[in-house]
Amino acid sequence: MFLRTKILFLFSLLLAVACSGGPAQKRVIGCEEDISGLKVGVVTGSCYDMDLSARGDVEVLRFNTEADQANAIVNGLVDVGVHDEVVFAPDHLKEMGLKVAFKGKESYPAAFGFRKSEKELLSAYNEFFAQATASGVVDSLRAVWLDCDGQYPDPLHVYPNNEPGEPIVVGTAGAVAPVSFRIEQDWFGIESELMYLFGEYLGRPIVFKSLATASIMMSLQTGDIDIMMGCVFVTEERLQRFDFSTPYHYYHCSYFVRDDDAGRSSTSLWQKFKDGINQNLIVEGRWRFITDGLWETIKITLLSILLGSILGIGLCFMSGSKRRWIKQTASLYKAFMERMPMLVLLLIMFYVVFGGAGIGASSIAVIAFGLNFAASAGGVFRTALDSVPRGQTEAGLALGFTRFQTFSGIVLPQAVKKGLPLYTGQCVSLLKGTSIVGYIAIHDLTRASDIIRSRTFDALLPLLVVTVLYFLLAWIIAWLLKLIFKKTCRV
Amino acid sequence: MNISVRHISKVYSNPDGSSLRVLKDVNCEISQGEVISIIGPSGTGKSTFLRMLNGLETPSGGEILVDGENILSKGYSLSRLRKRMGMVFQSFNLFGDMTVLENVIFAPCRLLKMDVETAKAEGMALLRKVGMAEKASVFPSTLSGGQKQRVAIARCLAMKPEAVLFDEPTSALDPTMVGEVLSVIRQLARDTGMTMIIVTHEMEFAREVSTRVFFMNEGLIYEDGTPEQIFKNPVHSATKAFVQRIQKLKFDITSPDFDFYGMQSEMSQFCIKYNVPEKRDVLTHITEEMTQVVLKDFLPLHVVLSYNAQQSETAVAFMMEGRTSSPLAEEGIDDISMMMVRAMSKEIIEESTSRGFRIKVIV
Repeated sequence: MFLRTKILFLFSLLLAVACSGGPAQKRVIGCEEDISGLKVGVVTGSCYDMDLSARGDVEVLRFNTEADQANAIVNGLVDVGVHDEVVFAPDHLKEMGLKVAFKGKESYPAAFGFRKSEKELLSAYNEFFAQATASGVVDSLRAVWLDCDGQYPDPLHVYPNNEPGEPIVVGTAGAVAPVSFRIEQDWFGIESELMYLFGEYLGRPIVFKSLATASIMMSLQTGDIDIMMGCVFVTEERLQRFDFSTPYHYYHCSYFVRDDDAGRSSTSLWQKFKDGINQNLIVEGRWRFITDGLWETIKITLLSILLGSILGIGLCFMSGSKRRWIKQTASLYKAFMERMPMLVLLLIMFYVVFGGAGIGASSIAVIAFGLNFAASAGGVFRTALDSVPRGQTEAGLALGFTRFQTFSGIVLPQAVKKGLPLYTGQCVSLLKGTSIVGYIAIHDLTRASDIIRSRTFDALLPLLVVTVLYFLLAWIIAWLLKLIFKKTCRV
Repeated sequence: MNISVRHISKVYSNPDGSSLRVLKDVNCEISQGEVISIIGPSGTGKSTFLRMLNGLETPSGGEILVDGENILSKGYSLSRLRKRMGMVFQSFNLFGDMTVLENVIFAPCRLLKMDVETAKAEGMALLRKVGMAEKASVFPSTLSGGQKQRVAIARCLAMKPEAVLFDEPTSALDPTMVGEVLSVIRQLARDTGMTMIIVTHEMEFAREVSTRVFFMNEGLIYEDGTPEQIFKNPVHSATKAFVQRIQKLKFDITSPDFDFYGMQSEMSQFCIKYNVPEKRDVLTHITEEMTQVVLKDFLPLHVVLSYNAQQSETAVAFMMEGRTSSPLAEEGIDDISMMMVRAMSKEIIEESTSRGFRIKVIV
């Protein structure tokens, strides 16, 4: 009896704690002092990240994209989010159930970043910008993109991109309207237009590259891109590593909170789903992000499997060698690859090993994933071969088959039968593993959902679509492997 | 097919530097049509020797000539030899992913380029011969050990070999299944003129089926002769001990402080192990009287307990080294004890040997 009371008491205590926890307290947030003690969401690497971390009296939670940040506010994961004033269009805000609590006092200069060694390009840009300012072009761009309360012109002005010269590669982290964003193959937003105009001015084509905020500075440093943009603010720290152009605008920051008054829309679930499909896939041909990403994911996965399997066969024979040092080299390689996080390997390959070597990011990803896959595939091959008893080889030899005939006609089919499920598993986990290639600016399936989410701020649907596609891909891979080996390995 | 083996040896070297000499110096001539059984204790290199004949094992020295050609020379095609010389393994080694019939036709189809229909017809005929036609379409994993071995024999015969090597074909089988496999081999030996070399522990079978028997011991062919000679009148005592299946237990009593109780318990265990527990009390009693009373003044004393399975004879022998006359005739021998021993035993043999004087008590 006593025990039961005790348990009941403990349980209610837990319940009380659970209820009181989280950002449930109602507080009026009207100025910077009010957020003291709250959870604040920022985008990783943005200058708010550093400023707020320096404050010390708030808990800073970092998110990779604006969409994640917005969703965190809506879901109550954080009390307040800090971002550029222009990042969420006003009507969009309402739709998402967000509102601006207040605007920050300070403003930040936004500019284009250049490598320190590219003084010429920098001064060319500054010259161009001075001219454009004088001729009123900059003002008109501001009017179109920044002073319009989210009412962008329709249709948008598309710039030709067929200048004859050597292309300038511009990396953008944000992919956010009205700074820089993509519809199908074209880029829009104030920064993109400035870049297009700069390209016209120089007579060189502009190529945009969408990168994760966390990796954009690294890419600029290694020469993977020539100019970085995406609402990059000029800070003391950044000035030590990069050169910055004349700022084109001073942005204020906004403090966003959940809009509890936003009326819950009365639309049915099905209608919501249909709207979601429309918003995330149909409008602006956004499904094309998905198909492009899908193709990239398939390409990287298949090529990595191919490369990794070839290397894996070598590794398998090495680990079966009678010579000790060959065997040890193989097991050392395996141990190294198994213990190395795939993302770390990918970043090292991209920035260090092939940094600035002029090899495409996709090829680097294939090499990195191939090297990693070799270790697991080699292990699978070895296990499969070892699972065939030695007696099978002896029986084959004793019948008069040569070593090769015995291996290919007797041992291999049995090994394949045993190893195929394991191998399929490894291939599928490789497929899933490729979802991190977005870190090195590859537009794969996962990155496609990120891009769509950064435009629509819908967390669920793009992720759902991508999940289904990964599932189907995994299923197709398993089916293909089964088919291939059924056809090739029988009497 | 004539096989000639000259001065074959095999040394395994361990990673720690030590080495193991499995075969010391093996010589023999085998001619076409002979059926040879190789018998001998475990670990004397019988299987190693057999596996050398088709090149599954490489000798450390010596040469093997098949029809005059050295199979160890460079460039000799072992796979060509193996097509003519089949092998049946202790552990069957049927191909696990093929049905019984596929197992049989796989090699003829691939190696003799036989067309599938002919191969199937011949395969079925062979399976019928070994009584496995009914199971042609099942996978080996569903068969019993004896059935698997019969399929393995059919698979081997499908290549129409001139010679077949049998590597302990019944050692992995339940006692109930040994018979079916042996009768298939027996039939082969009778009906075909094939050369057969069989490593086996089945003495009765070896005696019946073979034209010649090799007794291998300590890495040598110790004795080579007709079944009659090997099983009835072996020249070497090791051969005799082996074919008569004599088991021995030895003690050396060097002082009166010897652990007699320990000896007693070891003897009991010996009797139980060789299934003669009814002899246990008599044996220990006789040994006690002999060692502690009758022969207590004739140390050192070697005591050998022996069991001959073939004649089901149990005996205990007492050997006094260097003596030439019987101690029983001497003064001061305890007559009462000796009488008890005589009463309990079937026969007492007193003999002078090259090592010393021996008293053997058969019970």
